[in-house]
Amino acid sequence: MDLALQLFFTGLGIGAVYALVALGFVLIFRATNVVNFAQGEFSMVGAYLMVVFAVDLQWPYGWAFLAALAGMALLGVIFNLGVYYPLRHRTFLPVIIATIGASIFLANTVLALYGPAPQVLPGWFETPGVQIGPVYLDSQYLLIMAVTIVLVIFNFWFFEHTLLGKKLQATSQDKEMASLLGIPVATMIMLTFVYSALLGGIAGILVAPILFVSIQMGATIALKAFAATIIGGFGDVKGAIIGGLALGVIETFGAAYISVPYKDGFAFLVLVAFLIFRPQGIFGERVAEKA
Amino acid sequence: MTLSRRRFSAAVSAAVALPGFISRANAQGSTIKIGMCAPITGPAAEQGRYAQTGARLALDAVNKAGGVLGKKVELIIEDDQTTNPGVVLAFSKLSSQPDMVAFIGSIRSTQVHAMAPDVLKVGKPVMIGGTDPALTHMGNQWLFRFRPNDSYSGSVIADYGVNTLGKKKWAIVHSTDAFGTAGGNALATALKKLPGATVALDQGYANQSQDFTPVVLAIKQSGADVLGSYFTFENDLGVFARQLRQLGVNIPWVGSPSVVNVSALKLAGPALYGTFGVADYAEDSSPASKAYGKLYRDATKIAPDNQSSWTYDAMTILCMAINKAGKTDPAAIRAAILAVKGYAGAEGEYNFDANGDGLHGYNIVRNEKGNIVFDKHVESRS
Repeated sequence: MDLALQLFFTGLGIGAVYALVALGFVLIFRATNVVNFAQGEFSMVGAYLMVVFAVDLQWPYGWAFLAALAGMALLGVIFNLGVYYPLRHRTFLPVIIATIGASIFLANTVLALYGPAPQVLPGWFETPGVQIGPVYLDSQYLLIMAVTIVLVIFNFWFFEHTLLGKKLQATSQDKEMASLLGIPVATMIMLTFVYSALLGGIAGILVAPILFVSIQMGATIALKAFAATIIGGFGDVKGAIIGGLALGVIETFGAAYISVPYKDGFAFLVLVAFLIFRPQGIFGERVAEKA
Repeated sequence: MTLSRRRFSAAVSAAVALPGFISRANAQGSTIKIGMCAPITGPAAEQGRYAQTGARLALDAVNKAGGVLGKKVELIIEDDQTTNPGVVLAFSKLSSQPDMVAFIGSIRSTQVHAMAPDVLKVGKPVMIGGTDPALTHMGNQWLFRFRPNDSYSGSVIADYGVNTLGKKKWAIVHSTDAFGTAGGNALATALKKLPGATVALDQGYANQSQDFTPVVLAIKQSGADVLGSYFTFENDLGVFARQLRQLGVNIPWVGSPSVVNVSALKLAGPALYGTFGVADYAEDSSPASKAYGKLYRDATKIAPDNQSSWTYDAMTILCMAINKAGKTDPAAIRAAILAVKGYAGAEGEYNFDANGDGLHGYNIVRNEKGNIVFDKHVESRS
């Protein structure tokens, strides 16, 4: 039982990271109908920006965090203008290829600027964690879970109860209709990229003290997050969160009780099972051709 | 004489191609070319930089001392991307140049396995750092190893844990790639030969795992009183070490060389204090190791480790062997490398055996609050 509790906690922690990155996938997918394969690199860039501000420049952690977020917002704007905007009238394929290209470009730019050495980013808290009964709670994992909860609530409030959020939703549902109603579609899509870059950056910054900051940190997380979005139902915000958390817990338990070397396999086994038996995911609606 | 179209095009092609032939002929004449596959990109890019530095330091020394066969030595490096397809591609790019004399390959066993069939086809000497024992025991006469192989590290880890630390109940944690699997097997086999020693847990994990909680809990439950490990990547080791300490496992830990290398120390910090590691390179183990340490520190301002010392030794001994052979014929170079006995390198004393293994022992070092301290040298009995 103690063992299961410990595993459950760690699984939720790592699952929360998948969920944050998955959320970024979903938001961009809803706004533009393309999968942004550079979402994982957003996490990596966020973590490196944090290293630059908090470790290299020795800024206070809070300021460094804000500066890193500002950097991520800028990256979102540049990404939108450089990768999505020129291809917006094409089919989704060139855009997807462009995001893959952008992800390779980002990874190699950071490699060229920062070198290949993995970096250490200290956690937000001085204490590494607390022991509650038989379970050790890593303070960074606690922070990740708290931030995920806050962001999910913010997300709900923002998209359902603010005018800007509703404009963003309208844009994602029907661009032509939205623009007929006077919504500046291009700006809305840019804002979506900015928001997704921020989410990715936050996930990277939060997970960096646990996994270290390395060029390939984004790729591993993004692959799992992508699986999480499919399990949750592609395009569904709730689904991304639940899918991410479920994936984290499933792979941790699978590793502990079945096989450690096949840990990554469980995530994708679940993915394959969903693709066969419930391709629309947990929360997705059955896709029908529009008349 | 009228100039026919055919003659004209022949003349033009000759004019275009000739300078290329001439420059190639010149190049063939002026330098001795050695190719190197190293990770410039990918997860091991940092270690790749150390490896290149080691090889270049040796290259400078060789060229300063007059080069090889009276010519300057040139090192041509290709990126292996830290992947198996990458190393195969890098090696084929290098070996397609006919004037390459010999090569420095990878420190990763899995990559050496991947390139081994091509090495056999090319038929030129390749210096390697991968420590899977099978590499020099699978009938490939062109592979020469400049680090002690895992059958020795396994027996040295087992010997130190059982006879020096007095611990008998072992947990073995290893990656599931060629290096980790071979290492884990070697340690388990060595433990079987020691009276009273048992393996309570033999646990593999996949590289680039984000979480080791299940592994740590399995160690805890096994009741093991000593941990032996073979980690391939330092970031995995860092994550594991921190989770191990957080979840309260404090049994003695004797690990493969990655436990004591520079990047692991930087990433894991205090979580690795008090651990023991077998190290092929230990700065205080011999005068030659000390001299190399000073050379490396002067050049790079960071502490030396095995990632650079093996390429340093490989380059030095390779050039020495070509000089001794007196020609660049692969078979002559092979014979000259195998004839190296009692050479004091940065990694230890090289005595090549018929399989192409140059080293047969390990140093035991311990991590004292972040400093790597030499404990003792153990020559393998197996």
